[in-house]
Amino acid sequence: MVKLAILLGVPIAMLATVASLGIVVVDVREGGPDGNHIVVVPVPLVFAQAALAIAPMAAPVDKLRVPHEAAEHMGLAREVLEALAAAPDGEFVRVEERDQQVVITKQGRTLKVHVTGKRENVTVNVPLHLALSALPGEDGRIRTAALAGALSSVRFTDLVDVKDGNDHVRVWVW
Amino acid sequence: MRKSIQAGIGLLALVAASAAPVAAQTPWLHVRVEEAKDASKVSVNLPLTVVEAVLRATPDLIESHGRIHFDRAFEREHGRHGLKLADLRRAWKELAAVGDAELVTVESEDENVKVVRKGDVVQVFVDHKPRTDKEGKVKKGAEQVRVEIPVSLVDALLSGEGEEANIEAAIVELKKRRGDIVRVQDDDSHVRVWIDEQNTQASAPAGK
Repeated sequence: MVKLAILLGVPIAMLATVASLGIVVVDVREGGPDGNHIVVVPVPLVFAQAALAIAPMAAPVDKLRVPHEAAEHMGLAREVLEALAAAPDGEFVRVEERDQQVVITKQGRTLKVHVTGKRENVTVNVPLHLALSALPGEDGRIRTAALAGALSSVRFTDLVDVKDGNDHVRVWVW
Repeated sequence: MRKSIQAGIGLLALVAASAAPVAAQTPWLHVRVEEAKDASKVSVNLPLTVVEAVLRATPDLIESHGRIHFDRAFEREHGRHGLKLADLRRAWKELAAVGDAELVTVESEDENVKVVRKGDVVQVFVDHKPRTDKEGKVKKGAEQVRVEIPVSLVDALLSGEGEEANIEAAIVELKKRRGDIVRVQDDDSHVRVWIDEQNTQASAPAGK
C-alpha cells in the first residue's frame, strides 16, 4: 500500500510542481457536420522557457536576428511601446462599420484588441511588457532569455480567443 | 462610531479630490471620422505622450530629433525647391507685430479661402462650393474645412533654426491646448480632431 502511494505520489507531485510553474494551453475546438474535434495541448511554461533560454545555443545566430532594415526601427518601436505602457488606460481605437467592429483598449499593462464580425469574434490580449521583451536589442538579436523571463509574468492571462462560426481557438496561460 | 465613518468618508473624498486633477491632466488627442455612405465611424483617442512617441517613430518625416527639414521635405515631395521656412519665419514675425487681421482671402468659382488671425489663434476657413455637371446635377456637395491653429503652436513650430520645423516644441504646445484643432465637413463625412482630458469621446460626435 505504501509502495503504491509512493508510486502514484511521485508523478502526481511532479505534475503538480510543473503545473504550479504555469502551463500554456492551446485549445482548438472545431465544429462541423462531421461532429466536434477537440484538441487541447498543454505546454508547461517551464518547457517553453527552457526552450527559449537554450535557443541561442541551438539555433544559428542569424535565425535569432531580425533583418537589418527592421532592426534600425526597434529603438523607436520600444519608445512607442514604453509610451503605451506608461499611458493611462482608455479606449484607443474604435472602428465601426456595417459588418465589423474593431476596438483597441488599454487596461493596465495590457493592450486588448477585439474584432467582431458577422461570423467571427477575435480577442487578442497583448501584455505590453511581453511585447517589450520580444523586441530585439539594438544589435537586432532577439533576447530569448528576457522573453522567457517575461513569460512567467503573463500567467492567468487569455492571450488569444478566436471564434469563427463553429470553430473556437483559445490560447491562455494558466 | 458615526463620527468615525463620517471622518473616513471625508478623508476618502479628500483623497479622491486631490487625485482627480492628476488623472485629468493627461491631454488626449481625439480623432473622429464619420462617413455616412459607408456607415462607418472611426474614433482614435491617444494620450499625447503616445502621439509624441509615434511622431518620433516616423523617421521619414521627422528627420532629426523632432525637426522637419522643411525645404528638403518639399523638394522630395515636389521635386523642386519650395517656400523656405526661413521666409515663412520672417513673415510670421512681421504678422505677429500686426495683431488681429485677415491674412488671406481668396474667392474663386470653386472655393473661398480665408485665413484670419484672431487673438491667440489662426483660423483657416475653406469652403468648397458644390460641383455640378453640365445638366446642373450636383456631382459633389459643398465641403467645409475649419482649422484652428494656436499662435503659440506656430511659434513653436518655427522655433527651429534654418530649414527645420521644431515638432518637439510643437508637441509641448499641443499638450497645453484644449479644444478643436481641425473640423472638416462635407456632404458625406465629418472629421474632427481635438484635444481634451477625457480618455473617451462618447459624448462628442464629429458633426456636432
